[in-house]
Amino acid sequence: MKTITVKYGVDEFTKQVDADFTFGDLQDSDSFKAALGFGDKTKALVDGIEQNRDTVIPAGSTVRIETAANTKA
Amino acid sequence: MEKTEIILNHDGSFVERLVSERPLNVGQSVLDTLTENVCRQVRNVFSIPNWGAVHASVGLHDVLWCIALDKIPLHARFKLINQVMVPMFASGTDIEMPLIWKVPANVKVVFGVLTKESDGFASVEGNWLFACDSDRRGFRLPLPNLHDDCRICTGQFEGDQETALECVKASLDQFSVSKWNSDLMRTIEQSQKFFRFLPTKDTFETLPIQGEWTSLCNKVSTALFERVVV
Repeated sequence: MKTITVKYGVDEFTKQVDADFTFGDLQDSDSFKAALGFGDKTKALVDGIEQNRDTVIPAGSTVRIETAANTKA
Repeated sequence: MEKTEIILNHDGSFVERLVSERPLNVGQSVLDTLTENVCRQVRNVFSIPNWGAVHASVGLHDVLWCIALDKIPLHARFKLINQVMVPMFASGTDIEMPLIWKVPANVKVVFGVLTKESDGFASVEGNWLFACDSDRRGFRLPLPNLHDDCRICTGQFEGDQETALECVKASLDQFSVSKWNSDLMRTIEQSQKFFRFLPTKDTFETLPIQGEWTSLCNKVSTALFERVVV
């Protein structure tokens, strides 16, 4: 297990997750979505750099979730 | 200038370190690099009649102009349901009217215009419509023609102007006259609980939002929203 902190706007949530928990797992996680209120189209950033969905989140990291822009319907 | 330092290591050995210093004439470029993502907020840069004060978030490459709206022009199709006039964005038959929705006191709505300067001209890079609560959380209003990041699908208008002021005016003019249609629309129920009007003898009064307004919106967090000056 490891602890990560996730920020979405002014709200943040710290939680213990599995050691192999990835940025994609975070973006799809219903518990993080419910706690912070983000939707399906997001991007995950660490220190302002967008992260790959398959990358394992390092223990102790602070991840910022941002709403991703969509394209014209 | 050069100086010598003698270092005593943990293992008892001595090391001589020579340090040379010389002034480098790169101050501005270093500052520019260090402050590339730093924005400076400037309030009340100018005022636009009928809209109010315009604040700025000045970045190295662009400026986000912010106007707190007290009204949203809703030029759309409407229908009377249970004596309440509500929008019918996808309808092709209901009555089309330019109603003005008055923003309630507990909702902050910010219109954003991102401009860039090049070759002495200013250009509009996009328009955004954000809603904020008292804790400065960002929300996407239940309106069509809004992308997930609250960027407005404005339609075509002249976004290249001589000054940023003209860019902001052109954006507000487009926002004011363009019709809301069903592009990028989600569920109409949320829109109809949010934007409600009571027909009176002479006009249409804005009715309170039905329920907690944030529950009818999508929460939003973007780098651009972080720059919004409310």
